[in-house]
Amino acid sequence: MSILKGFILFFCAAGTLWAQTHLQELLPRGSELSQWKLQAKPEVFSGEALFNYIDGGAEIYFEYGFRQVLVQDFLDSAGDLISLEIFEMASAESAYGIYSFKRSPEGEPINLDDEAQLADYYLNLWKGNFLVTVTGSNSGEKIREGVLTIGRAVEAKIKGRAEKPDLVTLLPTTGLLEQSVKYFKGQLGLFNSYPFFTADVFVFKQAVKGDYAAGYSLFILEYPDSQSARQRFAEAEKNLRKSERYRDFSAEEGIIQAVDGKGRQIFGSASRKYLLLLVGGEDFQYAKKIFAGVGK
Amino acid sequence: MPKKISRREFVQKTIEIGLAVTAGHTLFPPLLRSSNPASAKEAVNLAVVSGNEYARSTAKAVEILGGIEKFVPRKARVALLPNVQRSNPGTFTNPEIVRAVIRLSKQAGASEVNLLSWLAMKNWESTGLAKVAAEEGANLKLFERDEANFKPVPIPAGKTLKEARILSEFYNHDVFINMPITKDHAGNRFTGTMKNLMGLNSPANNRTFHKENWETDAGAIDHLDQCIADLNTVLKPTLCIVDATEFIVTNGPMGPGELLKPHKVIAGVDRVAVDSFCASLWGLKGEEILHIRHGFEHKLGEVNLQNVKMREITL
Repeated sequence: MSILKGFILFFCAAGTLWAQTHLQELLPRGSELSQWKLQAKPEVFSGEALFNYIDGGAEIYFEYGFRQVLVQDFLDSAGDLISLEIFEMASAESAYGIYSFKRSPEGEPINLDDEAQLADYYLNLWKGNFLVTVTGSNSGEKIREGVLTIGRAVEAKIKGRAEKPDLVTLLPTTGLLEQSVKYFKGQLGLFNSYPFFTADVFVFKQAVKGDYAAGYSLFILEYPDSQSARQRFAEAEKNLRKSERYRDFSAEEGIIQAVDGKGRQIFGSASRKYLLLLVGGEDFQYAKKIFAGVGK
Repeated sequence: MPKKISRREFVQKTIEIGLAVTAGHTLFPPLLRSSNPASAKEAVNLAVVSGNEYARSTAKAVEILGGIEKFVPRKARVALLPNVQRSNPGTFTNPEIVRAVIRLSKQAGASEVNLLSWLAMKNWESTGLAKVAAEEGANLKLFERDEANFKPVPIPAGKTLKEARILSEFYNHDVFINMPITKDHAGNRFTGTMKNLMGLNSPANNRTFHKENWETDAGAIDHLDQCIADLNTVLKPTLCIVDATEFIVTNGPMGPGELLKPHKVIAGVDRVAVDSFCASLWGLKGEEILHIRHGFEHKLGEVNLQNVKMREITL
C-alpha cells in the first residue's frame, strides 16, 4: 500500500514539475525582452489554486476549462511594471472562449497568430490552447511597446495553431463588429454579456454573441438537437412572459418579442438545433430578416 | 508579527463566542454598531465628490457626512480594509485615498490605524499601498491563511451562509472603515462595499461562497450573492469610502479591462445605498445586482437612490 502511495506521490510531483517547466519554456528572456527585466521568479497556479491567484473571480476560467497559469512581472530601469499571464486552457475552444471574453470591443487587432488585440494598456493573445495576457501599468507609449514586445516573444514560442469554434462562423458577417464576438461555454459568460434571466433557463451546449454596426446584438445558442432547442425556446417564452424585467410580450410566426427594463426590444426564435436571440432589434420584420441570415 | 493562536485557544475562543451569542450579546463593540441604519426607512447620507485630487475629494466627502470625528473618536483603534487585488490599473483602492483616510483618522485622535489582510505582501507592495501605510505611520497587519487566525462567527440571519470565519484581529478595533474600489466582477457583475467584506473572511470560508466543482449556472451566482449579503449581516462598517476614480468595467475583479474614469470618491454609512450609487456609475441598477438586492432584503440599507439623501459636488 505504501509503495502504491509512493508511486502516486512521485507521479503527481513529476506531473506538477513537468507542467511548470512546460509553461516556463514559454517565458521570454534576455534579448527577447528589450529593456525589460524579469522581476522575481514566475509563479504557477494549477487547478483550484487559481482561486488563490484571482481572489474571488476564478469561476469564469473554470467555466471555459482551466488548467494552469504562469505569472511573471517585468520591470524596466525606470521602475515601470508589465505583468505577463500565460493561461493554459483545456482546449483551443476554451482558450478562444476566454480570449473572446476578455478582449475589449474597442481594442485594436494585432497581426499575430492566431488572434491578438491591443487595448489601451493591455494585450490579449490567443494561440492554440493558450491565452496570453500582457498588462502594462499605464497606457504610455513606452509601456504599450513593451507589452507588444513581450506578447510577440511569447507568441513565437507557442507551437501550433487552431481554428475558431464552428459556431462562430454562423454569425452573419455583414455589419458584424469583429472585436465584439464572444464565445460562451456556460451561463456565467452569457450572464456577463446580457443577463436574460437570473434562473438557468437556457442550459446550452455552447453559444456565441456578436454586436452589429446597426446597434443590435445577436446570440446563437447551440443544443444537441432541434428538439432540445425547441424545448428551451418554450422555456424562454414562459420565463419572458412571467419575468418582471420584461414587458409588452407578444408572439408571431414562431418569434417571441418583449421589451426589457431599458426599453430595448428582445426577440427570440428556435431554428434547427439553435436558439436565436436578438437584443436591440427594431421590429418583428427586422428580427425575422436577421434570424433568416444566421449561418448563411 | 500578528499573534498566532493555538488550536486549544482557538477552540476556547469558539466556545466563548458561542456563549456570547447564546446570551444575546453582540460580537461587535458599541462603536462598530453605532453608525449603521437600523432600517431601510431611515434617512441616509451619501457624499459624492468629483475631482482630480483624490485625497482632497476624500476629505471633502467625509466632511459632508459630518466630519471624521463623527466616526473616529479619540483614542480609537481603527481598522481599514482597502481592496488590494493586484497592480492592474483600476483594480485596487487608490493609495492617495488610503493615505487621506489614515491622515484623517490620526487627526481625529485615533490611537492606531491598522490595515488588515490575509493577502500577500506582494499585493500590497505592487499596488503602492504598503508604501503609503509606512509613510503615514499606519500598521500593515498581514495574516497567514491559517484557519487559526480566523474566528467562527454564527450568522443567525443567514439564508445561505450560516457561519463566517472572520480575522480575529478585526475584533480588537473600535472603528471599521471599509474602503473598496468599485469595479466589475465576472461572477456577479459588480464589486463594492458589500463584496469587499470577503477580505475579512477566511479564504476557506470564502471558497464555500462558490459552488462545488465551480458550477457556473445562474444558481451559482445567486448562491455567491446571497452569501455576500449574509456575511454583511455580521460585519457592519462604521463608514464606507469607495474609490470610483478609475476602475475596470469588464474582466473584473482582476482585469485587465476597460477603464471608466469618473474621478469620484463616494462616502456613506449605508452600504446598500453606496453600492447602488456606484453601480449606477456604469449603467447598472442596484436592484439588478443580486447581492445589493439581497442586502436590501436583509434591511442593511436603501437600494432605491430616490430615497437616499445625497449630496454631490465637484471640486
